[in-house]
Amino acid sequence: MDDSYISVKNLIKTYSSKAEELVVLSGINFKIGRGEIVCLLGTSGSGKTTTLNLLAGIDKPTAGKILYDENEIHSWTLNHLSEYRLNEIGFIFQDFYLLEHLTALENIMIPLILRGETEDFAKEYAVDLLHSVGLGRKALNLPQELSSGEKQRVCVARAIANSPSILIADEPTGTLDTKTGDDIMELLLKLVQKNKMSMIYTSHDPYLTKVADKIIVLQKGKIKKYTQKEFPEVGYDKESFQFLVGGESGE
Amino acid sequence: MNELDNYVSEEEETTRYQKAVASFYFNIKLIWKNITNRRRSITIIILGLVFSMSVLFTASIWSSTSQKIIADDYLQTLDYEMYVSTFLPSVMQPIFTYVLDDPLVDYVHWYYPSVALFNFEDKADNYTWFPEDQQDDMNNPLSISAAHIVSSAAMERIKLNLEVDGQASLNQGELMISYFQAKQLEVVYNKTISPGDEISVAITRYIPYTDREETTMQSYDISETIFENYTISGIYTYVGKNTVIARMLGGFGNTGGVLLDSIFFPIEDLQTEDLSIMDANRMLPKLLVKANGQELRKNGISNMPDTMYALKERIEFRYWHAFAFILSQEIQAMADEYTRSFGSTVVFVPTIAIAIILTILSTQMTVKKRKEEIAFLRSKGAVSGQIIGMFFGEFVLISSISLILSIGIGILLSALIPSFGHDGFFSKELFNRYFSYLEISPYEIEIFTVLVLGIYLSITLFNVINFVRKDIHESQIMTKRGQKIIKTSVTVGSFVLILAGFIFLLIEYFKQVGGVSSFGFSMVSVSIQALLVFICLLFFICYFISKGINKLIKKLGKVYKVIFKKNSFLILKNLKRHTKNLTDLTFFLVLTVSLLTMLVTMRSSVIHNNDIEDLYRMGADIRIDSLIPVNISEMEETLGQIEGIKEITGFRTIRALWGTQLQIEVFGVDPDKFLEIGRWTDSSFINMTPAEGLLTLNDTAKGVIISSYLINRLDFIIGEEIEVSGFTGSGQIQSLTITGVIQSAPGLGVAHGYDPKMNRDTDDWVLLNKDVLTDELDAHNGSLLLASIEEGADPNQIKQEIESLFPLLTVNPEEINPDYIGYFIDKYIPPVTIILLVGAIILNVVGIIYILISTDFILEQRRRENAVLLALGGNQTKVRGLLISEVSTFILITVLIGVPLGIAATAFSLLFVKPLLIAKEVIILNIHIDVVALFIILASLCLAALLGMIPIIRKQMKYEIVQELRAIV
Repeated sequence: MDDSYISVKNLIKTYSSKAEELVVLSGINFKIGRGEIVCLLGTSGSGKTTTLNLLAGIDKPTAGKILYDENEIHSWTLNHLSEYRLNEIGFIFQDFYLLEHLTALENIMIPLILRGETEDFAKEYAVDLLHSVGLGRKALNLPQELSSGEKQRVCVARAIANSPSILIADEPTGTLDTKTGDDIMELLLKLVQKNKMSMIYTSHDPYLTKVADKIIVLQKGKIKKYTQKEFPEVGYDKESFQFLVGGESGE
Repeated sequence: MNELDNYVSEEEETTRYQKAVASFYFNIKLIWKNITNRRRSITIIILGLVFSMSVLFTASIWSSTSQKIIADDYLQTLDYEMYVSTFLPSVMQPIFTYVLDDPLVDYVHWYYPSVALFNFEDKADNYTWFPEDQQDDMNNPLSISAAHIVSSAAMERIKLNLEVDGQASLNQGELMISYFQAKQLEVVYNKTISPGDEISVAITRYIPYTDREETTMQSYDISETIFENYTISGIYTYVGKNTVIARMLGGFGNTGGVLLDSIFFPIEDLQTEDLSIMDANRMLPKLLVKANGQELRKNGISNMPDTMYALKERIEFRYWHAFAFILSQEIQAMADEYTRSFGSTVVFVPTIAIAIILTILSTQMTVKKRKEEIAFLRSKGAVSGQIIGMFFGEFVLISSISLILSIGIGILLSALIPSFGHDGFFSKELFNRYFSYLEISPYEIEIFTVLVLGIYLSITLFNVINFVRKDIHESQIMTKRGQKIIKTSVTVGSFVLILAGFIFLLIEYFKQVGGVSSFGFSMVSVSIQALLVFICLLFFICYFISKGINKLIKKLGKVYKVIFKKNSFLILKNLKRHTKNLTDLTFFLVLTVSLLTMLVTMRSSVIHNNDIEDLYRMGADIRIDSLIPVNISEMEETLGQIEGIKEITGFRTIRALWGTQLQIEVFGVDPDKFLEIGRWTDSSFINMTPAEGLLTLNDTAKGVIISSYLINRLDFIIGEEIEVSGFTGSGQIQSLTITGVIQSAPGLGVAHGYDPKMNRDTDDWVLLNKDVLTDELDAHNGSLLLASIEEGADPNQIKQEIESLFPLLTVNPEEINPDYIGYFIDKYIPPVTIILLVGAIILNVVGIIYILISTDFILEQRRRENAVLLALGGNQTKVRGLLISEVSTFILITVLIGVPLGIAATAFSLLFVKPLLIAKEVIILNIHIDVVALFIILASLCLAALLGMIPIIRKQMKYEIVQELRAIV
């Protein structure tokens, strides 16, 4: 019996166009255990986001399996998959995907409302979450009135609103300055530990691997897996990154 | 310049030319590609344009073609349009020549009045024949009849109004006799008279004056005009109504006057000398004039009365001694009916307007969708002119396609719609007839094209220029607040201007129509104008209301919570957002629902009014019309004995001339019986109940009840005593007291106004107590009786019994006047109720199309939002449910507001659209809501919209979440 939450087996993802067939993932395998923090490292176009989307069930694999508690998620019905996303997954999107006509507070309420909570409960809970991400004063602001860091915090609060068991974060610091990025990472780690969640996040910044239990490097559709201990001690500059992933750094 | 320079210059010229050609082809290709790549939105725009233009074209072509056909149909069945007489018969020949030469005239026939004698052969010169029923030898009496001397060609026209047993021909050696004359001859000759029998007749060249004691045989001049063994080609009964021949011979209504007891004799069988003698004997000839239909209707039906008047004036001006009579009243009635019938197509205006709005909004949506494309073109260095030029090129192409389609559809529909006639079945004959008469007005086509395409071009360019300017940061010439102030000022300003215009039109309307219950051409015109402006006003009202609705929607959170429970949060948030598309949709839906309600309610009001008016015009359980005037007392007594008849009352009738102009029909009634038998309504009398009004004739010895028109025109007041002297056949002066003012009466119709649906050709009637007519004016006859029936009695059985006993009586006719002039029009132009229904159905379809387009557009904009909801764990069922709930809420709110608005608009518009809907206000036209019809049409709108949305939502759900999320960036 495997105690991992998620097992990825021979996962293949290709995109077909008239001109060519693009192989993004060519049969990758990895696992995420309970409470484990996994960092997915790779260059732009290496398939990091695709992997996260497949894990969250918002994209379909070309072949291979993703097992959640030993259940193959892509064999589920669409509604079952939605339930899985709603109850088990918290997704922090790289581009936030906040609904522009809703306030910060209302955006956080959405997963709760979708889960069938009453509006009053959702509001109360969302206020707490907003405070926990340090945005108590911005509850009534619309997304366009928030900075990138603030948007990311709203995203974090929204992702954990439904108390997921797995937090998926796509480049959580990608669009932020170093200071804000550090703050967000710190917040994430705090929340993950507090809520005893597993987390998988992507990054192209080797510096962010420091907090991960496991580091998976994606390169040309293949992966190399490292534990924190096994991970080579390299610098966190461009050259070191190229050495690790064998490609261009930066997104 | 040397040779080389020339060479270079030519080459430059060639290159420039080639570049221009290449650029032209490139642009055409680009435009074509843009169109083909946006097939769906372009199809919608073309559909909107084609719909708007083809409805306008159809109305135009249909109108002008129908005019020709209706006029021709009417003129073909009418005997003549005019007769001309003079008291100087010697000048008749030049008048004949002059009239015949007039381009408006097709042909002219001569008519001579004379007297025909039968059984004259053995009568001595001193045989006294007057009074006719007291002749010298009543065992072998002379039979005297009016003789109409006409040509066989004239008979071809006259026979259109005769019901003939035998042949309706007047060849040499033939004569035709009336049914009554035939009966008289059967008594005289003591044998049956049938068509084909031979008979001798004497046509007199002198008509004796009995008041000069010219009462013996020698008074007649028949020695040279005795015609032996003439064949009776046919025995006729006059069945026409208000024809020239009947009017010329003193007939009115359905009596046919002298035609009832007369013969027709061929003019060709008389010598010129005979006619000259008749001239000399003051037997004044008349000219029967048939107009050239094409010339007469050249300027449209509405100008026909005036064209005829012009001919009359030309003749009377040139020949001062001549008198030309025209059937102006009937032709005017037809023109009025036509105007009303076609005027009612004004109800299509909102439908067209909605179609134009549909085009505008679709265009806006298409241009908005291409915002990015404009930005891309701009980034690649395209200048504003090039971008605008590209859109203009597309406009030209789309417009050309739409125009060609619209003209084709317009021609086809204008022939197809009337081909279904009023019976609802396709008639190939009518269809072919329309094509053979097809009339297209290039002027109207051009106007409508400019109108629709102009709006389309303006909106397209406005939006494109706006985007182009925004793209290059030129748009911030004015602050948002400034723009809002200008927009509000323009909107409010336009509203105030239109409101002012509407008030002026209302004042004008009430000036013309106030207190009038018969609506003519000018009233129809002002009514159309008022309705058009009112519809504009309604657009503004709906616009303001839609603003209010958007605010209301936001305040209904608690209601949503009750209805949608936990889903209410997202529904409310979606409805709350103030996007322009949502505002447009609100405006459009409120407008569509209110206009639909208005059309349906107007229709049900007219149908209801028609139903009760038909019963009212019929008058009572049983209506009895007599072909000839009968003694009312005798008829009441005889018919009163028929089983099943409870009460019966007749109308003694006499004509009177009030003043010098007003021909009035005077009805003598039994007030108590009329009150009991007649189907009175509260609006029959003005400011009185029927009982209060009618019974005044019992209380006042010589009371008279008159119309409000007469009260106003002759400046009378109630209680005033007036002296009337113009009673037909009576030299007496009657002193009458006005006791009541009446609007209409059951069985008689409106008290003022020519009513072609009734058998009456005067504009006014008055009511007197029957005793005044019988005792004072010696008037005992009439041609109308009304009766009530016993409970459980079968009116059809009573009808059959009366009609079998008295063949000249008609009981409960399907139409009181079967020759109602409007029937010519009904054949080609559906009644207003059908037009209202068609308008409502088209509006419904346009409404559904717009809801679907708009929903599709709004949902397209929300694709990415939906993807986020799905990515966050929302399931498809929930998201689908949210969308349907949202749209349903939206439709429900707009219906709940649009319906009362439509009902209020109908109630208000009935104040000024009556002339458009009904010819006569016999009974006050009140609003009548047909809840079932309203429910069906609105439910079909909502249901079709919701059902139509299912594929749109399903399409939305098919999008891949990942792809949609990627597109957000």
